[in-house]
Amino acid sequence: MKEYIVEISPNGCLICGEPLDCEKTGADLLTELYGKLVGDYPKFYKMDSMSRLAFIASELVLRQEGKPRFTPNETRKIILANNRASLHTDLKYNATINKKDYYPSPSLFVYTLPNIATGEIAIRNKYYGESCFLVLENEEHFIKVLKTIPLESDALVGWVEYNNDTDYKCIMWIEKP
Amino acid sequence: MVPLLRVLETIIKISDNIYSPLGNTTEENFSAVMSGISGLKKYYDMFDCVESFTASAMPTRMTFTQMCIESVSQALLGTDIDTTSANVIFVFSTTKGEDLQLWEPAVAVTRHFGNKNLPVIVSNACISGVSAQIMASRLLTAGIYKTAVVIGCDVLSKFIVSGFQSLKALSAEKCRPFAPDRDGLNLGEAAACMILSAVSESKNPNGWIYEVGSMHNDANHISGPSRTAEGSYRCLTDCLDKCNIENLAFISVHGTGTAYNDDMETLALHRAGLESKPILALKVYYGHTLGATGILETIISMQAVEKCMLPTTRTGIHGNSFIKMLSGFGGCNAAVRWSLKK
Amino acid sequence: MEELKLQLKKQIISALNLLDMTPDDIDNSAPLFNEGLGLDSIDALEIVMILDKNYGIKFADKEQSKLALKSIDSLAEYVSAHRTK
Repeated sequence: MKEYIVEISPNGCLICGEPLDCEKTGADLLTELYGKLVGDYPKFYKMDSMSRLAFIASELVLRQEGKPRFTPNETRKIILANNRASLHTDLKYNATINKKDYYPSPSLFVYTLPNIATGEIAIRNKYYGESCFLVLENEEHFIKVLKTIPLESDALVGWVEYNNDTDYKCIMWIEKP
Repeated sequence: MVPLLRVLETIIKISDNIYSPLGNTTEENFSAVMSGISGLKKYYDMFDCVESFTASAMPTRMTFTQMCIESVSQALLGTDIDTTSANVIFVFSTTKGEDLQLWEPAVAVTRHFGNKNLPVIVSNACISGVSAQIMASRLLTAGIYKTAVVIGCDVLSKFIVSGFQSLKALSAEKCRPFAPDRDGLNLGEAAACMILSAVSESKNPNGWIYEVGSMHNDANHISGPSRTAEGSYRCLTDCLDKCNIENLAFISVHGTGTAYNDDMETLALHRAGLESKPILALKVYYGHTLGATGILETIISMQAVEKCMLPTTRTGIHGNSFIKMLSGFGGCNAAVRWSLKK
Repeated sequence: MEELKLQLKKQIISALNLLDMTPDDIDNSAPLFNEGLGLDSIDALEIVMILDKNYGIKFADKEQSKLALKSIDSLAEYVSAHRTK
């Protein structure tokens, strides 16, 4: 069962289908949401675009859920998926290893793995449960695969894709057993 | 998602293959390791990287798709599996796929074998190969498929080598896992494949049986392991559930040869009460093969148990089961326990 | 020297995405890592890369870079003594 569904796209944010008041669009939308609704986690600025998107969505889902935050949780799973893995950041890193201008960026390279987004959420919330990133065809495929994952307790689940600053999409929710 | 059901299906391994610089079959690979042959060599100008590096590379450049096809073809030899059947699922483990694409090459490999199902790709950094075994076991346990072709592969590239160099994670020489003077890891490339099948428990199947798998996050840092081994310790504890420790032959560790990883694993083993068990560390032979690691090292571990011999030290071992553990970026950790039933 | 310090602060803020900070927020003598700015090991590697890219500085070993990266003061001193561009 899906609960506390949050959807974010470059044009706005929906919380359980209700639009949230936002002024900005694109990449600025995520910084606006961070400033308005989170504000106390400067690590956000160091994250790559996909992690920012997943992080903001997780904050919105967990605020709605309303349970006490930041206390160690042994069982909560984080399962995210998309079709392009970390391609957006991969290309940014690739630009730092040109033959002519070869200065590989370590801080970009660490984000060239899609599961870093699951790690950012686990770190923020002290979730010691399973964290997993899957690359699948589309959301429908994701829903089908999710049905096979055993759940002992509520999981944070999301489809997170970041193609560029004007083309991204995240839908995240709490999946109950 | 399904609630936890009592598992009525047993997951068994039907076949496997390792396609690496040390050989094209599991047997060739195991005997190379037994003979102390390493794939690690020093490269001075591969990929135009500024610094030289030590790695285990295929004798000729091959693509991800080619490596996967070779490995799966070898694993299928001598089995009666019909990969065109709707009850066969392909599960991939990779970090960078081919030219930064993961989905398209995975679909290409799946279609090469005439399989029409959508593949499932696990991309959990260095733990992907163990995660893929866990995902495959779930897909089989859920009763949707009968057989899973689990493939792990990553190929060396300028992207990967320069990235690890930028993190100062590479040793210039051969890596020295658990040695006091270890100073980093070596990269490697390989493909490894395990074919898993669901068999009814009532049939009392023999052979390699998948007992348990577990994943936990450290909730600590995206690029450094937990100083207290939180995730890794939890994975080991899960794997010890219903395990007769006497029968545990050894722990197949990640053993990358970086200062922090090896310390963390040592602590995890102590916390789980496993400090007296032998460990198997294989990076000296293969380097860190990223998406292939979890599958490749599981297969070598199976060979070791079958032959009652730790290939690295050529010492005899007792017990019919082992744990394969891994940790990776994103704070992720995973472990699986397999046992051999004769 | 003051100009170099300002330049270094701007480069660090932009490379490490410390978007909530201005150069004035970074004390020249305060430690950059741990208790100071709260930077971590990846940030240190990124700063080492920027120093190479912008000033042609190559550190011989970890200890040398550790000393240079103590604070903005020590960094400016090191850069002005060792820069090749």
